[in-house]
Amino acid sequence: MSLQTHQPDTATPPIATPSAAAGSRPPLPKDPQRHRKRALWGTAAVVIVILHLLALEGTGFEPVLLVEGWQGMARFIADSFPPSLDWEGVIAPGLEATLVTLWIGLLGTTLSVPTALLLAVLAARTTTPHRLAYQVSRSILSFFRAVPDIVFALIFVTAVGLGPFAGVLALICHNTGVMGKLWAESLEETDQGPQQALSTTGASRLQQIAHSSLPLVTPQFVGLLLYRFDVNVRSSLVLGLVGAGGIGLLINQAIKSFQFDAMLSHIIIVLVLIIVVDQASAFIRKRLSL
Amino acid sequence: MARDRYSPPALGVSGLTKSYHGRPVLKGVDFQVECGELVAFLGANGSGKSTTLKCVAGLAEPDAGTIRLQGTELSGLSGKTLAAARSQAAMVFQKIHLVPRRTALDNVCAGALARTSGPASLSPLFFSRALREEALDCLDRVGLADRALEKVGRLSGGQQQRVAVARALCQRAGVLLADEPVSALDPNAAEHIMALLAELAHTHQLAVAAVLHQPALAQRHADRAIGLLHGRIVFDGPAAGLGADIQDQLYSPERTSAA
Ligand SMILES: Nc1ncnc2c1ncn2[C@@H]1O[C@H](COP(=O)(O)OP(=O)(O)O)[C@@H](O)[C@H]1O
Ligand SMILES: [Mg+2]
Repeated sequence: MSLQTHQPDTATPPIATPSAAAGSRPPLPKDPQRHRKRALWGTAAVVIVILHLLALEGTGFEPVLLVEGWQGMARFIADSFPPSLDWEGVIAPGLEATLVTLWIGLLGTTLSVPTALLLAVLAARTTTPHRLAYQVSRSILSFFRAVPDIVFALIFVTAVGLGPFAGVLALICHNTGVMGKLWAESLEETDQGPQQALSTTGASRLQQIAHSSLPLVTPQFVGLLLYRFDVNVRSSLVLGLVGAGGIGLLINQAIKSFQFDAMLSHIIIVLVLIIVVDQASAFIRKRLSL
Repeated sequence: MARDRYSPPALGVSGLTKSYHGRPVLKGVDFQVECGELVAFLGANGSGKSTTLKCVAGLAEPDAGTIRLQGTELSGLSGKTLAAARSQAAMVFQKIHLVPRRTALDNVCAGALARTSGPASLSPLFFSRALREEALDCLDRVGLADRALEKVGRLSGGQQQRVAVARALCQRAGVLLADEPVSALDPNAAEHIMALLAELAHTHQLAVAAVLHQPALAQRHADRAIGLLHGRIVFDGPAAGLGADIQDQLYSPERTSAA
């Protein structure tokens, strides 16, 4: 369209046709990588399909079962309706247990901050004082991240007994691993310039970290912290199922004693809790990024 | 302001060589910058200007050569003594490299970290009154005293670069290294920064070495110009003598593409 306005005369030809250009420019070069790339993508596709067939087989993945069994599910939900509104027996204990769940999530997050911060600084290539410290802290973080919190909970229960304390300890361990890794990554991604600039002033390594690296990543750090708090509150629900107290434990008990209306009440309370936590952390994150 | 005529130059570099991955980048660079002098470094991209300044500031390790800051030779020093000697040279960058979320005053205070120690030096909340007063003086010298508590990220590019200069002043360095300090700024801001650097050299007796990409800026503001070509100095003389022939030599495409 703009061609017409720019080229009213024919002093210079408009866009050259391929055949016209072929004479003046070198021919399309053969790209030996093209065949290799095609073969690679093809092989990857075949491997992925085979893996999925095996996985579908191994998990007994049959949508037919769900279609045939939906009535059972509907009956189960209908049976538990309406949710129990028994204050003394269901709602009050539910709210109390929900608070415990929230406390487990809170402590599991905040008490892992010192360890996660230390390990993150050591495990980020841009802030670590030494290669060895880097390797060791990376390994520690990998270990804590690899062991699921529920496994930590089962281990701590043997030491401190059933109850929320075991849940808090379990979350501290697992969250140190995850948050330390996430923080180390955001430290590595941040602009190195300000830190270099401070190094030329003669500031010590620790001063450089305190006055450039950390302030630069503070918004990301707080965002990740809130995200982990979100996740940890949900994890502490599951930890309740293995005896770490809180609302998860009540849901488990309600199911085992066939009190489905109480179960439904508890699930509704949990949903409200999760939505509130999610919205609150989203609100704070938005405020911080200003 | 009369200097003792036997006093050493603020910055003396001789026989500086440096290669990256076996490719020589500096091939024996010698120059001096005196107190009270603004020296412009000119040269095509890749000619080694930044590497030269980085070697002085400790951001790059030279292969050979000597660097003297206020008479103290850097090679052979290590640890605290090296840091102390290095803090004699402050550096400002094209990309400014301040912490945008912190106030101008806090950023300027950070220039003095080498003089402060202990856990209290790790947070701006514990910077002393004396330091904050000094930082405000430095901001005043660059004309930004009234913006002291503004977050740096909210200032314009030219103002941010002035805060960076104020941080260098707070470092109490005798030598100011500036790597393309005005390349990211509009012409007005560039003039302003260059005039500021010249003023600091002439009235505060700083030795200023500034990498510039515009010979005209160098001719207007610098006392002396140094031209680099493929890691060698090919011109060192009054900025006024930076004629068209020299500029052709420094920026001619055949010569620069040979790098
Ligand atoms: N960290 C580095 N690693 C490898 N090569 C580098 C590094 N820094 C600079 N160089 C190379 O050294 C040469 C000179 O770079 P530099 O001093 O930045 O040039 P200038 O500032 O004059 O444009 C360039 O060819 C550049 O590619
Ligand atoms: Mg450069």
